[in-house]
Amino acid sequence: MIMFSKKFIGLLLVFSLLMLIVGSPAIMAEDSRLRATFSWPTEIDPAVGSDYSSSTALTNLYDTLVYPDPDGPMKPHLARNWEISDDNLSYIFYLEEDVKFHDGSKFTAQDVKFSFERLMAVGEGFAYIFEGRIDEINVIDDYTIEFTLEEPFGPFLSTLTRLYIVSKNQVMDNINHDADTYGEYGDYGRDWLMVNDAGTGAYQVVEFDVGHRLLMERFDEYFAEMHPQAPGEFEMIGTTEAVTIRTEMNRRDLDISDMWQTSQAFASLKEIEGIELVGWPDGGQLYLMLNTTAPPLDCVHVRRALAYVFDYDVAINQIFPGSQRARGPVAQVIPGWNPDLYRFEKNYERAQEELQQSEYHGQFSDYPIEYAWTDEVPDLERLALMLQAEASVVGLNLEIVRTPWMSMIDQAAQPETTPHIASVFVNPHYPEAGSILESKYHSSTTGTWEQMEWLQNEEIDNMIEDALKTVDLEARVDIYQEIQEIIVELSPSIFALDNFEQHAYQAEYIDWPQPDNPIPAIGYNFDVRFIGLDTELRAEMR
Amino acid sequence: MNSKKTEISADYKKKNWLRRKETLQRAWYKFSANILSVVGLIIVIAVILLAVFAPWVAPHPDHAGAVVDFTATMQSPGAGNLMGTDGVGRDLLSRIIFGFRFSLMMGLVVIGLAAPPGIILGLIAGYYQGTKIDTAIMRFADIFLAVPPLILAMSITSVLSPNIFNAMLAVTLMWWPWYTRLVYGLASSLQNEYFVQSAEVMGASTPHILFKEILPNCISAIFTKITLDMGFVIIIGASLSFVGLGAQPPTPDLGTMVADGAKYMPDQWWLTIFPALAIVFVVLGFNLLGDGLRDVLAVEEV
Repeated sequence: MIMFSKKFIGLLLVFSLLMLIVGSPAIMAEDSRLRATFSWPTEIDPAVGSDYSSSTALTNLYDTLVYPDPDGPMKPHLARNWEISDDNLSYIFYLEEDVKFHDGSKFTAQDVKFSFERLMAVGEGFAYIFEGRIDEINVIDDYTIEFTLEEPFGPFLSTLTRLYIVSKNQVMDNINHDADTYGEYGDYGRDWLMVNDAGTGAYQVVEFDVGHRLLMERFDEYFAEMHPQAPGEFEMIGTTEAVTIRTEMNRRDLDISDMWQTSQAFASLKEIEGIELVGWPDGGQLYLMLNTTAPPLDCVHVRRALAYVFDYDVAINQIFPGSQRARGPVAQVIPGWNPDLYRFEKNYERAQEELQQSEYHGQFSDYPIEYAWTDEVPDLERLALMLQAEASVVGLNLEIVRTPWMSMIDQAAQPETTPHIASVFVNPHYPEAGSILESKYHSSTTGTWEQMEWLQNEEIDNMIEDALKTVDLEARVDIYQEIQEIIVELSPSIFALDNFEQHAYQAEYIDWPQPDNPIPAIGYNFDVRFIGLDTELRAEMR
Repeated sequence: MNSKKTEISADYKKKNWLRRKETLQRAWYKFSANILSVVGLIIVIAVILLAVFAPWVAPHPDHAGAVVDFTATMQSPGAGNLMGTDGVGRDLLSRIIFGFRFSLMMGLVVIGLAAPPGIILGLIAGYYQGTKIDTAIMRFADIFLAVPPLILAMSITSVLSPNIFNAMLAVTLMWWPWYTRLVYGLASSLQNEYFVQSAEVMGASTPHILFKEILPNCISAIFTKITLDMGFVIIIGASLSFVGLGAQPPTPDLGTMVADGAKYMPDQWWLTIFPALAIVFVVLGFNLLGDGLRDVLAVEEV
């Protein structure tokens, strides 16, 4: 009897496991959920999140006053229109009147003011963009609000694409008063907003399993346009594991892949029937950041020599196919890039000449160069091996170290711990050259993973600040371009390539219209309300 | 007088030699009776030869270093490259052959460093069984044994920088207590034997008793364990490399190759399967050999 029951329990266990594996697709056969993979973690607090997956989630959950327009500057969104004073210090926004938050309450100017104050108080994510820029915010009436700037701020309208509007009432109702981090505002709703949303966006949070996935559902009272077949639910899944993605896409249980797959993986995904690749230059760039404080890279000649041995053609053709040769520090889709910059080519002789001018000439063997790459993007190792082989030709000794992303963020905090070379993708936060120049080369951003160069150049700092204060677009672009020339001269980074954001998607049953010009602001190219999903066709294909 | 002594001595030496030869022959007979042991021996010899003569055996010896060839990336196994090429165009077979070098070196260095102190401590603790010395040594060993081996090694290599040397150091630190335990068990039973007691009565020094009386009687068990451990150490080394805490590129290492190749499964299967098979091959070889030795020596002890 006992023997039998043990066997029986064992069988039951095996059977239930099988049910879990085999049975789950059948349960979700006829749903309207769009599933896509992302690299994790994702932060959905609009005052905290700022990376690719967080920006994507925020774009879908929240709205902003303006929306990036692929064909021009900003277009109206929560703000119907706006007026700018002659001294460029006052911006008056007239807001949409029939916008509802997910909890049913109405959107007003008070929410805009509150969202801004909360962003600045919490001070993480995109807050740095507005730091010291805004003097005061004046609510004129329920649907009119005035921003007064400290001094002219050229890209102000563009930066508003990062001010996500939260519902004041809903956040105030969910404040944890046990914490007094923010005085009378308790925790400013951080605990609650970490796993919930208080937005007006086309999608709202259903369930957020912080370590693994984020499930959202369509908000049917959304105020702006939507694809007629916009998915009923949108699930962000936190994995970039190639085999899982391949299997799930093959079974139509995954609709859109992340962008971090290797070129081999993309090629084999494309071979599956009904799956196509879609991509666009996303304004990001792969930088090989050279720590300018660490010998021998504190010598500009060594940095230039490295830029001369890097094989740019192999990088864009073999390792990251589809990406474009970089022009300079700013990707070629971002307003303000400089088309006339000097461009390094692979040239051993020039590299040798530079090395001979270096103060370290003849003693390079005493200065091993540490090259850190993150294993979230496997192809970066191939890039590292390429540079290692090329550099050894001119006598530079590179040590390649696989570094987990979290350790790299830690190492970036101090110049002493920052690796000599780190290969990292960086995107602008708002669509303008000033964004990337500030986050990559201004002294205030040293210690973050976006600037591992530790450039700390006063002239460049001043020029960036000047540019941002310049309201006239042309004059601003002139300064941007001049900054780029100086940066190329100093060679603090190797400009490896302009990134090409690529996804595999189920073209058979997904309608994903692409604008002629991509939006160079992360998250906005993945606005799910513009994606159509034919659920019946999918059910047939499963 | 002198010549007679020489004669006896020579005669004795000859007899002794014959006896040893006979013992060896008998051992080999027992060993070879088990075909699996012989297979293990052949594998181990083959791997050692491949590792030693890697620069001459490997089709592309330069591919073990910082070399890339982007005209020949991800080629499937075929006539040109028997096991295909990896993501930067290096011949996988050559890298696996060189990978054996690292694996063997890992095993030899770790056991070479871990076994002697482990054995000495075990002898001392076993001989002084029941005293405070015994308690001190064995409880100290228990502390190391209480921490899961891979976790200990991972924490050591991640605090220090991840490289071959630190990986070996880490594995060594977690390995010596096993030898202490083994020898402790043997020595504590041997210390009551008549030959030890008579040596004590004759006034032999403690080092003499430990190393000349007790140790020779443990040596067969130690030798078996060393052979078996080679396989385990290689596996641990590969695991460390798999999680990125072992050898760093471009050093060819089997564990790293498996880890990197896994991202290209299932299309570029050769990147994972061949290095993984190579690990299986080495570890299997040492385990079979170890088992064979244990059988031979175990009968001997009865």
